[in-house]
Amino acid sequence: MTAKAILTDTTLCIGCELCVEACRREYKLGEDKPRPWKMRIDDLSATRYTTIVRRPGSRFIRLQCRHCRQPACVSVCLVGAMQKTPEGPVIYDPNRCIGCRYCMMACPYGIPRYDWDKPVPFVRKCTLCYARLGQGREPACVEACPTKATIFGARDDLVAEAHRRIRESPGKYIDKVVGETEIGGTSVIYISDIPLDFLAWSPGLDRTPLPDLTWVALSKVPPMVLGVGGVMAGLWWIIDRRVKLAEHKEPEHKAPEHKEPEKKT
Amino acid sequence: MSTRRHVLKTILWAIMGVLAVVTVVRFLRGLGATTALTDVTPWGFWIAFDVMSGVALAAGGFVLAATFYIFHMEAYHPFTRPAILTAFLGYIAVAVGIMYDLGLPWNIWHTIFFPQFRSVLFEVAMCVMLYLTVLALEFSPVILEHRWFNRPPFTAIYALLRKATIPLVITGIVLSSLHQSSLGSLFLIAPYRLHPLWYSPIIWILFLVSAIGLGLMMVTAESFFSSWMFGHRLRMNQLAGLGKAASVVLFLYATLRLGDLAVRGTLGSAIDGSWQGNLFLFELVLGALLPATLLAFRGVRNSPAGLAASAAMTVLGTIGYRFDVCIVAFYRPEGMSYFPSWMEVAVSLGIVAGAVLVFIFFVERLRVYPEEHESGEHGEEARPSPGPVFNPGTVRALLPLSLAAPRFYSIAFVGAAAAAIGIISGNVLHADPSVHTPVSAARTLDGVVGPPTGGHLRDVRVLQKDIPVPDGYKAMPLLMINGNRDDRLVLFSHDLHITKFGGLPSCVKCHHENLPFDKNTTCDKCHRDMYNTTDTFRHASHVAKLGGEKGCVRCHRDTNQVKDRATATACSKCHADVPSQETVVKPKEGTKKGVAAGYMDAMHGLCITCHRQMVQQSPKEYGPDFARCANCHRDFDATQLLRMGPYAEEARRK
Repeated sequence: MTAKAILTDTTLCIGCELCVEACRREYKLGEDKPRPWKMRIDDLSATRYTTIVRRPGSRFIRLQCRHCRQPACVSVCLVGAMQKTPEGPVIYDPNRCIGCRYCMMACPYGIPRYDWDKPVPFVRKCTLCYARLGQGREPACVEACPTKATIFGARDDLVAEAHRRIRESPGKYIDKVVGETEIGGTSVIYISDIPLDFLAWSPGLDRTPLPDLTWVALSKVPPMVLGVGGVMAGLWWIIDRRVKLAEHKEPEHKAPEHKEPEKKT
Repeated sequence: MSTRRHVLKTILWAIMGVLAVVTVVRFLRGLGATTALTDVTPWGFWIAFDVMSGVALAAGGFVLAATFYIFHMEAYHPFTRPAILTAFLGYIAVAVGIMYDLGLPWNIWHTIFFPQFRSVLFEVAMCVMLYLTVLALEFSPVILEHRWFNRPPFTAIYALLRKATIPLVITGIVLSSLHQSSLGSLFLIAPYRLHPLWYSPIIWILFLVSAIGLGLMMVTAESFFSSWMFGHRLRMNQLAGLGKAASVVLFLYATLRLGDLAVRGTLGSAIDGSWQGNLFLFELVLGALLPATLLAFRGVRNSPAGLAASAAMTVLGTIGYRFDVCIVAFYRPEGMSYFPSWMEVAVSLGIVAGAVLVFIFFVERLRVYPEEHESGEHGEEARPSPGPVFNPGTVRALLPLSLAAPRFYSIAFVGAAAAAIGIISGNVLHADPSVHTPVSAARTLDGVVGPPTGGHLRDVRVLQKDIPVPDGYKAMPLLMINGNRDDRLVLFSHDLHITKFGGLPSCVKCHHENLPFDKNTTCDKCHRDMYNTTDTFRHASHVAKLGGEKGCVRCHRDTNQVKDRATATACSKCHADVPSQETVVKPKEGTKKGVAAGYMDAMHGLCITCHRQMVQQSPKEYGPDFARCANCHRDFDATQLLRMGPYAEEARRK
C-alpha cells in the first residue's frame, strides 16, 4: 500500500476547530479540563489529539502527530507498542505499553500525551485514523475541514501538490514544504506563509533520521561485549598465571601474604 | 546494638511509613495525583534519582569485582563483599523505583517477550535484569554461608557458585559497562530537545567513565558508613589507593567532557553566566574537578576527612550530572518547569531507606565483612563456622534493647504514615486533579446606574471625576469582577442584583458556601451566552445535529447572503424555551420568555451605546474613534477580541 499523508495549508485554515471537534467525536474524547500539567486549555492533551494554535496575525496552525517516516517514538519503544504502518500512520498498542514514556521524551515535536490522572494510564496521540483508513475513509479531521485546508492522499502526490501551490503563487508561501525531508520526512506536511520552526523543540531540523543517532551507539554493543569480555578474561588469565608462578617460585616467602583467590569471595 | 544504629533504624522505619502511604496513593490514584510530571516533562525525579543515579551509585560492585578478581589486588578483598551487596541492593532499589515510575508496571514482562533491538531502553532493561541476576548469584554465597544452609543441596550449590565466580564477574563487568553507558545513549535520540551543554554524541562514554569514578568513591563512602555504623576500622592504605584511581578516572571524565564541549564549540555557553552554564560548571567542578584535584595530593588521600569530603563531592556532583541530563537539559524558556512533588521525593527516600535497612539486616546476620567477624582467618577455610554468626553473649547483653527496638520502629512507622496521610491534599485523595482557577479579587469602583428601561439592560457607567451624575442616574458602588474566572473583567452592580433577586435572603442564589472551590455562581449561569472556552454557540455540534453540510440552510436560509451570525436565523426560533428554564431572570413584559442579557450585549450596552450617542451629540469633541471597537479592545485583532475585554489589561497591571 502506498504511504498516505496529510497536507495542511495554513493559509487556508480559518481556525474553526471543526477538525478538533470531529476528532473529539470520533474517539469520544470528552471535554478538556484545566489540568496542572497543561500549559493552555487548547494545548494537545490526552483528550485532544489535534488542536489549532493561533499565531499573531490571525494565523492558525493545526497540530497533530507528524507520523514521521522514521519515527523516534517507534525506535525507542522497548516493547514495540508504537508501530509504523506501511500506510503511514504511527499507531499505538495500549496492550503492549509498559508506560515508560520514553516516546514522549524522544518525540522531536513533543506530540504524545499521557493519561496522567488515571491509575491505568496510556499514551495518547493522533493515529491518523488508522482504523478509518482500513475502511477506505479519510481521517475524521480531514473530512471535517470546511475549507480544504487539510487534505489527505498519497504522500508523493501531496508533496507534489505542495510544491505546485508554492510554485503557482510566488510570494504567497515560504518556499519550503515542512516535513518533506526533515529527520527523514513526515507523513503530515505543511505549507505556510509564516515560519513553522516552532513546531519542533528547536529550529533547524537536520535530515538525519533520529533513530540513526541511537543506532550508532547500539551497533557498538556486540563489539563491546566481545571486547570488554575478552579483555577482562585475558587480563584475569595473565595476572592469575603470574600470581601462581610467583607463588610456585617462592612458596616459603610469599605464602603467608598470598591467598588463593577462589577461597575468598 | 549501638544507640546510633538504633536511632538510624528508627528514622529509616519512619521514612518507610511515609513510603507505604504514598505507595497506596500512587497506585490507586495514578501518576498525575502523586507526581509533578507533565506532558512536556514526562521524566522526573524518579528516573533521575532512582534509575539514573541509582545505577551509577551501584557501580562500585563491578569496579571492585574487577579490582579484586580480575586484577588480583588482594588488599581490596575486604571491600568486595560490601561493594557487591551495595550494588545488589542498589539494583533492587532501581527495579523498585522503576515500578513506581512506569505507568503500567504489571506489563514489565513485555520487555522479554516483545524484544525491540533498535531500542536503547530495551538494551538497558535487559542488561539491568541480567546484571541483577548476576549480582544475586555473586552475593548468594554469602547467604549460603549462613548455618541454615549448611546441608546437602545448598553445599553443592555453594561449591558450584564458587567455581563460577570468575565467569560471573566477567559477565557482570560486561553487562555493567554496557548499561552504564547505554543510560547515556538513551538521550542520543533527543538532539533537538536537550540543552547543547548536555547533549553529546559521546554521552555514553561520559556516563560510563563518570560511573567508574563514582563507583570507586562509593566504595569509599560505604567504608565510611560501615565504620560509622558498625565500628569497623578504616583501611586507609586501600582507601588511599581507591582515591588515587578515582582521581585519574575523574580527571579523564572532566577532560572528556570539556574536550567534547570544545570540539562541538559549545564551551562558550558553559561560561556565559546563564543558569544552565552555572549549573554545568557547578556539577562538573563539584563532581569531578575538585575531588580529582584533592585526591591527587597524597596528604588528602591519606586523611579520612579529605577522603570523605572527596567522596561526598563526587557522589553529589555525579548525581547532579544525572539530574542535569535527565531534567535540567529539557527545560525550555516558555514556562515549562518541573519541580518534584514531595511524594516523589518521599518514594525515592523510602526506597533508599529500605535498601539501607536490608543492608544493615544482612550485615547483622551474614558474613558481609568476613575479616571483621573472624580476625586472623587467613589460614582458615573460607567456609563458615557452623555456629551463629554473632556472639551469643553480645546478644544476651543487649536483649532488652533488641526487644524494645521493634516497638520503637513500629511507632515510628505508624506515626510517619499517619503524618503522611495528614498532609496529602484532598484533591489527591479524591483523584480530582483539576485545577482550581484562582479568581482575581474584585475591585470596587464608584459608578452610576441608569433608570430601568423595561428590558433587563440598564445603563451602568463608571463615575468620572469631571462629569456630573446624569439625570435619573443613581450613584452606587460597582464591582469589577472576574465572573467567569477567565480574567475578562466585567462591571457588576451588586446592589442591583440583590434588588432583582429579592433582597438579602436571595444571596444563596449566587453564593454557595457548601460547594467546594465554587463559592459563587458564575455569571454565565444566568447570562447564558457568556463564553467559556468557546462561544456558547457551538457551530460544530449544530452542523452535526442538522445533518452536515446539507443542514446549512436550516439556519442560513438565504443562500445569497453571507453566512454569518447576523444573517442566520435567531437561536430563539428553535431554542425558544431552553435557556429560560435554567435562568432566574423573569420574562420580559409582553415577550415569551426571558433570558438575561448576554455578555456581549451587556458589555456593549454599557459602553458602546453611550459612546455612539456622545459621538452623535458632539462629534467634534469626541471624534469618530470614540465609538470604534478598538477604543476599548486595544490591539484589535479578531482573535484578541474573543480573549480580552477592555479592563483585562488594567487588572493585570494591578
